[in-house]
Amino acid sequence: MKKYTVIYRSVLMENLQYTANVAMGFVSYFVFIFIFIQLWNYIYDDPRQLIAGYTKEQMIWYVMITETLWFGTRAAAVSSQAATDIRGGNIAYQINKPYHYALYLLSRYTGEWSVRLPMYALLSAVIGFALVGGLPGFGLLTLLAVIPSVVMGITIHAVFKLSISFFSFWIEDSNPFQWLYDKLLLVVGTLFPIEIFPEALQPLFRLTPIYTVCYGPAKLIIDFSVEKWVEILIAQLLYLAAGCALMFFIYGKGVKRLYVNGG
Amino acid sequence: MLTAVKNQVRVCALSVKYNIMREMLNKVTFLTNILFMMLNNATFIVQWVILFRLREDIGGYTMREMMLLWGLTASSFGLSHILFARVFSLSDLIINGKLDSYLVQPKNVLLGVMTSATSTSSIGDFLYGLALLCVFCFSLKRFFLFLLFAATGAVIMTAFALLMGSLSFWLVRADMLGNNMINTMIGFSTYPDGIFKSGARFLIYYIIPVGMAVYKPVHIMVSFDAGELLSVLGFAAGLSALSVFVFYRGLRRYSSGNLMEARI
Repeated sequence: MKKYTVIYRSVLMENLQYTANVAMGFVSYFVFIFIFIQLWNYIYDDPRQLIAGYTKEQMIWYVMITETLWFGTRAAAVSSQAATDIRGGNIAYQINKPYHYALYLLSRYTGEWSVRLPMYALLSAVIGFALVGGLPGFGLLTLLAVIPSVVMGITIHAVFKLSISFFSFWIEDSNPFQWLYDKLLLVVGTLFPIEIFPEALQPLFRLTPIYTVCYGPAKLIIDFSVEKWVEILIAQLLYLAAGCALMFFIYGKGVKRLYVNGG
Repeated sequence: MLTAVKNQVRVCALSVKYNIMREMLNKVTFLTNILFMMLNNATFIVQWVILFRLREDIGGYTMREMMLLWGLTASSFGLSHILFARVFSLSDLIINGKLDSYLVQPKNVLLGVMTSATSTSSIGDFLYGLALLCVFCFSLKRFFLFLLFAATGAVIMTAFALLMGSLSFWLVRADMLGNNMINTMIGFSTYPDGIFKSGARFLIYYIIPVGMAVYKPVHIMVSFDAGELLSVLGFAAGLSALSVFVFYRGLRRYSSGNLMEARI
């Protein structure tokens, strides 16, 4: 465990040197949030109207929180690093090191989002308070309670992204599968809460990563309840265990197919 | 003069052809990239189905018009990245001194740079736009207008990217600015202009050319107006001329990175 902590710390320190680069990405985030604020302002005729049980403020905050998770945790470590290493042959230098390659990438990823996410969260809070107003019922206790759920959600996301990246052991380019997974999460998970979909589809979505990665943490922030908190944490634990098993299985199978052409 | 232009166009066409042939070396990857990009874009239909369940019109657009907007954006974006993908990473060439290998070639420098790369997945974007048109609002007249506006949209997007990329001749971190401006253009282009109020409308019509690239063409396809059509064509030509002028002004300031590179 200690070696992964060292990797995490070194990536964290490295990323702290480049906070200005992270800040440049704020423009895209701001544009996206601005568009969604305009969109929901247009759709909600009456500010007191409820859509799928959400007020306008809750709906906008929901999008802002899920988009903060989306933008704040985007990193090459889990989306393209493994595929690039496998395609380029660099993996040959990585798998003989005294660490597990998948856990190495997870540690790197955690180091990267540990810098990005707080910055995006701060920006999100500023935009939210300035353009939408405060979130009723949200306080410091809620924030502390939600942090484990947020961390678990991000880790589940990373585990699934890595599992997809390891498809590169079989096919040259796993990016198209990443696009589909990302868009499923983006369109179904981050733009709308699950309650907005037809009732017949809602149980299905609760079984997908959408529930544990996006919906769960965001729902807890905008409408916290202890029952929901316990339910989401249990679902996340189960999902994380299943996701890790899948990731190690794919990696184990894939790495046996690897052959190195000199170098 | 005409022969020179013909030769140059032929070289550009060959360059794009060989880019695509290079991508086709691995056929499975090539086809997967195209098909999955189409599927990837199709996921956004879910978003609009949900939103149109809540309201019948959004910003003056019905579902049919929204799909037309999405289709035109996808095809314009696709076409610009099939033909001129390198323009979208022009800053990188300038900052890292990689323009040298283009400068020593006997043909036009700018066209050589522009056509030196192709994005495979963009073929999927282009086809997806056409598929949306055929499924949601096909008519022969609209089909030809769509092709015309996909071309003008691609020209406007490319010219804007060239303009932003050329800023790197003067500014050190212009790549960040340029990328943000291009992302902003793409971000706005898939949402109806009717939801934006005065300040944002000014931005999308006069600062970021998304209004002329996609919004106005969609309005013309819904309700034809020859004057508006000419204004789109004029804007595309004007922006292209401006971006070419800025590129060549900037090129005078370019200094080599002493990077050994060859284009074969």
